[in-house]
Amino acid sequence: MTGDPRAFFALDLGTATTSAALIARLAGRWRLIGHLAFPSGVDRELILGLLVERVRHADPELAESIGAGRPARDPGSGSSGPVDTAVRPEPLGPAAEWPRLVSRSAPARRLVLMVPTERRREITERAMRGTGWAVEARSLEKSDALAMTSLALDPAISVLVVGAGSPGAADERGPLPELVGLVAGVAYRRPELSIVLVGAAATLDRTLQPLRTEVSGAGRVVALPEDLAQIGGEDRLRACLDELRGEVADTRRGIVRSTESLAAVLGRRIETVDVGVTGGLRCSSDPPRAQDSAALTSWAIIASAGLVAADPDDRFVDAVHGWLPASVDRARLRDQLRDLWLAPWSEIQGDGATLRLGAARAALGRLVSATPEISELPAPDLLVAAGGAWAVAPAPAIALALADVVRRHGTSTLAHDHARLLGPLGSIEDESERRDLLASLADDLLSPLGSVIVPQSLRRGRLNGRIRLDDGRSAIERDLVADEVARLDLPPGAMATAELEFRDGAILGGRGRRFAVQVAGGTGGLMVDLRDVPLRLPDRPDARREALAGWQRDAWTALEG
Amino acid sequence: MSDQSAPPVDPGLGLVPGRSFVLAAPRIWCALQPGDRPLVSVGEPVLAGTPLAELIHDPRLVAVTALRQPGPGRPGDRWDGPGPARLGARRQVRLSGELLYEVARGPRIVTGEPGGVMEAPAAGIVREVRPGMGIRLQLAGQAVPGVTMVGAAARGRLHVAAPGEGRMRAAGLDVGNAGAILVVGARVDAETLIRARATGVRGIVVAAIASRDLRDFAASEARHRTSLHRLPPFAVLVLEGALRRSLPTPLVELLTALVGSEVAIAGDPPVLLFDMEPAEIPMPAPDWVRVRQGPWAGREGRWAGPAGIRRYRSGLRLEAGFVSFDEGPPAAFPLADLERFI
Repeated sequence: MTGDPRAFFALDLGTATTSAALIARLAGRWRLIGHLAFPSGVDRELILGLLVERVRHADPELAESIGAGRPARDPGSGSSGPVDTAVRPEPLGPAAEWPRLVSRSAPARRLVLMVPTERRREITERAMRGTGWAVEARSLEKSDALAMTSLALDPAISVLVVGAGSPGAADERGPLPELVGLVAGVAYRRPELSIVLVGAAATLDRTLQPLRTEVSGAGRVVALPEDLAQIGGEDRLRACLDELRGEVADTRRGIVRSTESLAAVLGRRIETVDVGVTGGLRCSSDPPRAQDSAALTSWAIIASAGLVAADPDDRFVDAVHGWLPASVDRARLRDQLRDLWLAPWSEIQGDGATLRLGAARAALGRLVSATPEISELPAPDLLVAAGGAWAVAPAPAIALALADVVRRHGTSTLAHDHARLLGPLGSIEDESERRDLLASLADDLLSPLGSVIVPQSLRRGRLNGRIRLDDGRSAIERDLVADEVARLDLPPGAMATAELEFRDGAILGGRGRRFAVQVAGGTGGLMVDLRDVPLRLPDRPDARREALAGWQRDAWTALEG
Repeated sequence: MSDQSAPPVDPGLGLVPGRSFVLAAPRIWCALQPGDRPLVSVGEPVLAGTPLAELIHDPRLVAVTALRQPGPGRPGDRWDGPGPARLGARRQVRLSGELLYEVARGPRIVTGEPGGVMEAPAAGIVREVRPGMGIRLQLAGQAVPGVTMVGAAARGRLHVAAPGEGRMRAAGLDVGNAGAILVVGARVDAETLIRARATGVRGIVVAAIASRDLRDFAASEARHRTSLHRLPPFAVLVLEGALRRSLPTPLVELLTALVGSEVAIAGDPPVLLFDMEPAEIPMPAPDWVRVRQGPWAGREGRWAGPAGIRRYRSGLRLEAGFVSFDEGPPAAFPLADLERFI
């Protein structure tokens, strides 16, 4: 940002959702004044107009103080509909000049990996995991050159990666010349295609570069001659693909940066899971050990971890089906998922809400299974849910969905990036400026969902005990029974000590029978999750649905009341 | 049609998700595969039915070890020269195809059996020709956007066989519909599609088709194309989605106005192409809205203003808007469950 504005807008332009937030400086601190989310495609100026008008309507003095006072109305303007009970989008007035932090996410772009052998395919594909590309890998060992060329000539393909060892392994030397010829043919026909040459394939660079210099708007040719097995080889490929993937203001890249800065600001280990319509991100960041050092961050963007798919296959449908608490015909479920892809915001209440959260859990499951290196880390201090999948979900239901899928024994605070600020704030390039803003906004940035305690039983199915939750003014006690999710009220902003005692011992950070942990409150309160880690659902469909309905009922009834 | 004397449209209506009613001068992409031979060049005007490319059936790659090549070839160029050398053969066979790429041992040529001709679905101008990839056309008329197309681009006279909420059954089809593009209402199944293709129908326009039927038909279509040559094209255009719902009234009115005229279905993007004077297109009223999902799905009414944030089932608080129907007071719906044409 430039200058010293009193207020600014943060816009997250997602594939399915446009989210707008108004942030203003009040009494020397940045505060979140309001936020709105609408289906993408709705005019963003109208959304901002409605947001500002709501502020004017709710607190005219505040609106005046931040410079968003009502502009002079044209005589005769305004609403004249038969029903007039709500504010309408109005001209922004001076607010139109406010700075805007904008981040964007787009559907995962497609990449073709071409390699001489299946062995090389596995090595290269593994190195490319988590880069956010929808990868289609082909080897000359299993595919014919014509099919591979046809695939690379598909206009939907943005990048071609050609992989080989360095030097080329014995089993690669035979097919490599054929592969090189094939790639040169594709490169000639598609000058707009970016090409990454790995290992021995990098020799092709000399042939391809002259072709590219003759053409305007040509894609890049990047040569990475080192073998992926060399130190830093995989990192170089990942960095290259990340650079080719994202726009400057890419939302997921912004979320990674914000998570990193927030970990430094709060001095806590933070994990963010972002599920959008067309992809997911998992990011874990430890606070830096020294004042000026960088945070330790690992992240992965998984194209297949999107909420829905254009043409969901059986595996996709089954994964969603497995999380639904009611019996649904699989063919109808596939139709519902296809319609959800076409209109991700439709039927967001009622049965549609259950379907969306089932799809969100399945997507989160794909995200977690694709990031085993993050799953191996201890439970984070703060687990943040971000992305459009949660945009209109109730807080206790989000908390339960996180507890269902992101499972590690330990205690975590759960939060929701409810105003979708992490992406836009991450677009601030300067690290110290970003940290200052996040520190100032920390109280408003995330919506507290509550805390979750996940003890792990030493003996399966024998986890029974008692909890005492003391917030300093009052204490609640209750029994704990294996396989249940115990919920205790702990409002947002409250801190409490949870003392747990297990009859047969448990693992909670360490091994023992008695534990005391600090927990933070939230809309979903405190959950003590006494289910298995990882979660084991009954095999019989009716028993599974009954178990899911039991756990989810509590999350929904907390809201109905 | 917009009316000068009509009251101004409420600005809150802009918060209702919009979908395009008609696209003017649409650009479409006609995909080719390596070996197909483009017959047009950039900037060339085409009419409906103008051959765009010669297609090949069952393409295959041939490795040629040619000492004498027909000329300095580049990928995508036509190859008309010596074929692969055969042991003991006195004369080398000729090979006609497309140069895919070259390696030290010789060129790789893609060739195949003649597979028919790809025709322009409507009049327009060729904007891009990429051998082995596709041809981009900018068309002269208009298009109704759909969500899915299966089959090959097809042309025919439009006939409304089942309007709005209707449904067409396989038994209702006969050869009298040959050459037509049929509007079959709310839903169609795979059996009806297969029968339609067998009776010479050129295309089907439908509101929704279940995933299972879509897959069954796509598989049938793929088998059909593999086993036979030069079949007349047949296309299915889905306008709404997978779950059963009726066609919106403004679309039914437009399709009814197009009955008897030549239309076409194209796949990338999925559209119904037609040519009509813009002033004659029956446009929906500016405040027309439709409930897209939920128990009221398919109901159409008039926008009656924003309803603010309302609490719905499961405790969700959602932006809502009022809709006036023919009878009763305006009802509030989540904005995301509504749609309007833009």
